Amino acid sequence: MSRQTSSFSAEFNEINQEIVLSGRMRPRSVQEIASVINMVRRSLAESGSTAYVNVKRLTHMNMTAFRCLAEVLKSACEQKPQRMIVVVTSSVIAWSAPLFQTLASTQPNLSVEIYDSAFYPEQTFVEDESFIPILRTQTKMTWRHEREILPRHGLRDGLTIADICCGIGDFATLIKRQFNPTRLVALDHSKKSLEYARRVAAEFGLNSIEYTYGDASQMLLADNQFDFVTCRHSLQIWTYEQVAKLFSHFDMDVEMGPKSRRLLNDAGFDAIKVESFMVTNLDGDPQDFADVIEAWETVYAGQMAVRRGDTPDFIRRFRQGFKDHVLAALHPKGYAGWPIWAASGRKPY
Amino acid sequence: MIMTGQHISAKPGALKNMAALALDVGLFISEFRLCDTIAEYLADLLAQSHEDPARCANFSSLLINEIIELAFRSAIPVGRIDFNLLRNEALVRASVAFSYDRNNRAAWSSFDRSADSSGQHPAHHLMMLAQAIGVSLDIEIDGDDRVTLIADFLPREAVR
Repeated sequence: MSRQTSSFSAEFNEINQEIVLSGRMRPRSVQEIASVINMVRRSLAESGSTAYVNVKRLTHMNMTAFRCLAEVLKSACEQKPQRMIVVVTSSVIAWSAPLFQTLASTQPNLSVEIYDSAFYPEQTFVEDESFIPILRTQTKMTWRHEREILPRHGLRDGLTIADICCGIGDFATLIKRQFNPTRLVALDHSKKSLEYARRVAAEFGLNSIEYTYGDASQMLLADNQFDFVTCRHSLQIWTYEQVAKLFSHFDMDVEMGPKSRRLLNDAGFDAIKVESFMVTNLDGDPQDFADVIEAWETVYAGQMAVRRGDTPDFIRRFRQGFKDHVLAALHPKGYAGWPIWAASGRKPY
Repeated sequence: MIMTGQHISAKPGALKNMAALALDVGLFISEFRLCDTIAEYLADLLAQSHEDPARCANFSSLLINEIIELAFRSAIPVGRIDFNLLRNEALVRASVAFSYDRNNRAAWSSFDRSADSSGQHPAHHLMMLAQAIGVSLDIEIDGDDRVTLIADFLPREAVR
């Protein structure tokens, strides 16, 4: 696969006062990026009290580009000492913050912000180690369905696979054992979960799974190298209205399932398939199902709702919904279900 | 002469060959794009032993690319340029060796801390970059006007 040394985009969003640089910026000379540098210079000149230079998706850079950009930023800082310039980087790109920090250390009105250091407030909930057994139980309940469904969406033996938002890596290990991929990359934004995933994979002797740190919007994986990409339980599908509102508070959209067909269409995918399945209390031990629901109650009603500042009365009623679900799961004549959507599409060649 | 950023002691004898690439310098400096291509290739190889290969490759390619770009700008079109990866348990070493114009011998040989601050040394910006991202960088110069730029990456600790 050929890669261009400089294939980047640069744009200025006037409303957000944000200059966004992304891609690979490795020019041979300053002249190659002159138009971009001029745009940055002009945008900074027009900006208000705070300007943002967003480099969180600038994956590659050489010192020719950095020095040129640094000169423009320094000059802009000196021209308007009262104006703040914030360089927004990503923790995924390990060199980015330290490099731009060298610049910030010389300019009092320039700072570096790592956008994803506090971008996923809900991440701490699922990183809690007490939650891991529940995640594993969830996978145990869903896998018996998934192993049947995935081949209908194109998964077969010997593919190169990426699992985006792999969490504790249990799904990746099951894929590895069941479908024997030639390469399997598993990505997540939780270093704690990745450490656990690596440990578990090593215990099972599955040393060939490549675990990598990243988020779904910032991956350091080259384009067009995977046959099959999975992303599960990260685009959650819930029908509970209150849960949807709660998740919305944390910038999460829990109604992705029904929207998936349109989203895949809009993204230009073809051969789109959408189906759903129901994990129920009758699939295995009903207590497993009840344990999962109780764990959800703890996270959503006990932690997230509290952090959102909901009233005790609301939280009591919110909890009751989960308790009713548990009651149905454990009742000898009860039926409780967890509907899950499965959607896939093929990226056009 | 050895110039050191943040040196990690490693006995050279303990390092084992990982990969070697030799190119005709004339070919190398004919196409700037090769700097990026070779940097990515070496970084991908270097990162194979890291627990997070994708992220380690991205990190190390920044400095390796800068070393190669310095070679692109400094090498004379005679002989060959050598790219090497070596490793031991403590680190992975990337090195690039090439011949420079003997008219620049004074500049290449004049490095010291004060010269570094003046920014006149050919590797001044490279050293700054290495220090910024916390990677050890050495420069060795031999009597045949050949320079070797050496970066030592800690395979486990560099990208956390």
